[in-house]
Amino acid sequence: MTILAFVVVAGPLAGTFAAAAGARARPAGWTGAAGACLALAAAVWLTIGQLHRPPLRGLGGFLYVDSLSCFFMFTVAVVTVLAAVGSVGYVAAEEAAGRLSGFQVRLYYIFFGLFAALMLASMETGNLGLLFVLIEASTLASAALVGLEGKASSLEAAWKYVIITSLGVTMALAGTLFLFYSASGLHLAADLRLTWPYLFAHARLLAPDSLRLAFLLAVVGYGTKVGLAPMHTWLPDAHAEAPSPGSAMLSAALLNTGMYAIIRFFAIARAALGPEFPRVVLLVFGFLSVTIGVLFMVRKGNFKRLFAYSSVEHMGIIAVALGFGGVLGLYGALLHTLNHAIAKTVLFLTSGDVALRYRTREAAGVAGLLTAVPLTGAALLLGSVAVLGSPPFGLFISEFTIVRAGFAGASPVLPLLLLLLFAVAFVAFARTTTGMATGEPALATGADPAVSPYRGRAVGLTAVLPAAAGLVVLLVLGLWIPAGLGTLISHSIAVL
Amino acid sequence: MQSLSATSAPGVLLDLSGVVILLLAFACLGSKLFNRYVAYYGAQSVVLSFAAGVSAYAFHSVELWVLAGATLMIKGIGIPLAARRLLIRRLDLKRDSALATGLSTSLIVGGGLTAFAYLVTRPQLLPHGLVAAAVVPLSTAVILLGALAMVVRRHTVAQLVGWLIVENGVFLAAITLVAAFPFIVEAGIFLDVVAGVLMMLVFVSGLTRQLASASAAELRELQG
Repeated sequence: MTILAFVVVAGPLAGTFAAAAGARARPAGWTGAAGACLALAAAVWLTIGQLHRPPLRGLGGFLYVDSLSCFFMFTVAVVTVLAAVGSVGYVAAEEAAGRLSGFQVRLYYIFFGLFAALMLASMETGNLGLLFVLIEASTLASAALVGLEGKASSLEAAWKYVIITSLGVTMALAGTLFLFYSASGLHLAADLRLTWPYLFAHARLLAPDSLRLAFLLAVVGYGTKVGLAPMHTWLPDAHAEAPSPGSAMLSAALLNTGMYAIIRFFAIARAALGPEFPRVVLLVFGFLSVTIGVLFMVRKGNFKRLFAYSSVEHMGIIAVALGFGGVLGLYGALLHTLNHAIAKTVLFLTSGDVALRYRTREAAGVAGLLTAVPLTGAALLLGSVAVLGSPPFGLFISEFTIVRAGFAGASPVLPLLLLLLFAVAFVAFARTTTGMATGEPALATGADPAVSPYRGRAVGLTAVLPAAAGLVVLLVLGLWIPAGLGTLISHSIAVL
Repeated sequence: MQSLSATSAPGVLLDLSGVVILLLAFACLGSKLFNRYVAYYGAQSVVLSFAAGVSAYAFHSVELWVLAGATLMIKGIGIPLAARRLLIRRLDLKRDSALATGLSTSLIVGGGLTAFAYLVTRPQLLPHGLVAAAVVPLSTAVILLGALAMVVRRHTVAQLVGWLIVENGVFLAAITLVAAFPFIVEAGIFLDVVAGVLMMLVFVSGLTRQLASASAAELRELQG
């Protein structure tokens, strides 16, 4: 089992090594995709093996895998596979069009693999200090993806991203420090005092004042990575400027990694301080994020920014769900994490195809997608419907669960407000995406969208296949939750 | 919990280093020249490595000695030297004009933040008589001052120095508060800082070169 945990992390590094050894775009891409598949297979195997067993421990608490880790690891591994397959076509087409040099392509695969491996590794550690180290390292790896294109705008976005999130995560380190300090009464060995299972088991003995400060700093700090408002300002820029499969990784994997760290702190705070304080903190940040995400979605413009603001909204929804609490709230939060990750991957990968064909990222420059490229147009429309929480897709179930969890609480005001915001989001988001899908294909930019930018059938397939696969999974999750997944989520809740 | 009392000799030295580090953060906040930013940061890191050395001596910890040495070599000498060579001299940076507020305003706000740091951390959190009770408010103030420098300064190099000061504040808190973070974690944090600085150096020099040739309209590209 310990070996499997290492395979999960080593898998995505295959692409990194291939690119570092000098492989060209396509072989590096295929190697990366194969490595991601290996990681997913190992993650699934590990999850199944661990499902009815006590958590996997090792290396003096540095390795710790419980159901919650498995759930997030599975989510990130699924996203990595979809994005790695999507990268093959996208990056090769960008290179063929002369927008990326051979060196940039190699950098892309090096940092893509590193980024994925670091995120998967951060889910396997029980040491909160190491968690910080890995999350900060994943920030740096992904910053290289954001700045990859080397234009002034992408460098500006990368700078903003790296400086804001580094500052944020440093705050989380200060929070980790205060958590460590709050445990000074426990007489644990120094190594164990940062280890999550021990802290959680002894939560009642932690010094409450210092823990309260620790939780606040952790939510603000890791919340910067999650994109909780008002620390979300880096997010739309970074998502808009990264290559599209990279944006998918940012939105669907990185934000969840930050949320995972917050959930770990949340569990300790809830056990030690009682439910009220963590609940209020998460509800405040959550509602602020949903509101800001929705309001900025009203503006028409760059469609990748639109998807990015939708991520702010959805991360807010997950924080609200954690705040609502109870079995329903936590169940909804985790289910929503998986659903949103897959839906956003579909949208960002589709946006990559659209950007390649229309040579623009402005929504106003895109029309007639359904006529010109029916498959991509359909994926965009279905993906938007899914991400907005319409039946029969999975997000409907999870949002419904979250709202129900809200009504189970004391006041019906909060869930009603959430429903209202969902409605505004629906109108704002669908207005832009339907405009892109319908109408006559405009040729204003001099690009004919019907001409395939990919060379070779297999590569062309990578543009459609991951999005289609993601939509199928979302549809399945909307109709039926597989028994294994249901057990995994309820075991994860039991951990908290 | 092994912790130093405030009246022991190492405790007094740590306290003193904390005060000097805070003063250097103020000095950085109150200056306008890129050269000085880097010089104050370097001096602060040297004092920090001294503090780590004191802590290492008091706890007989080999790992802390290693960290003290690494702090001196990398944060005290390496990073300031690299910043001076690669950024300030090559990009010919002299006077920072991209300030959101005047110097006096930012110093006054900095004073307020220091008072706030004492208000938040002093009374409830820490048992009296330990050196941590004196140093943690100081390091919290350093963290806030670094963050303030990042907010009021718009130039990328100034923001980079601001982040490094925040990092120093956290490190100061770490060596007095816990003294015993697992070494892998400490080393990992250190590596992250170094990698972060390298990455930021690349972005800053790329950005400055791009903007020198591009129009100012480019800066407004990312809005909304």
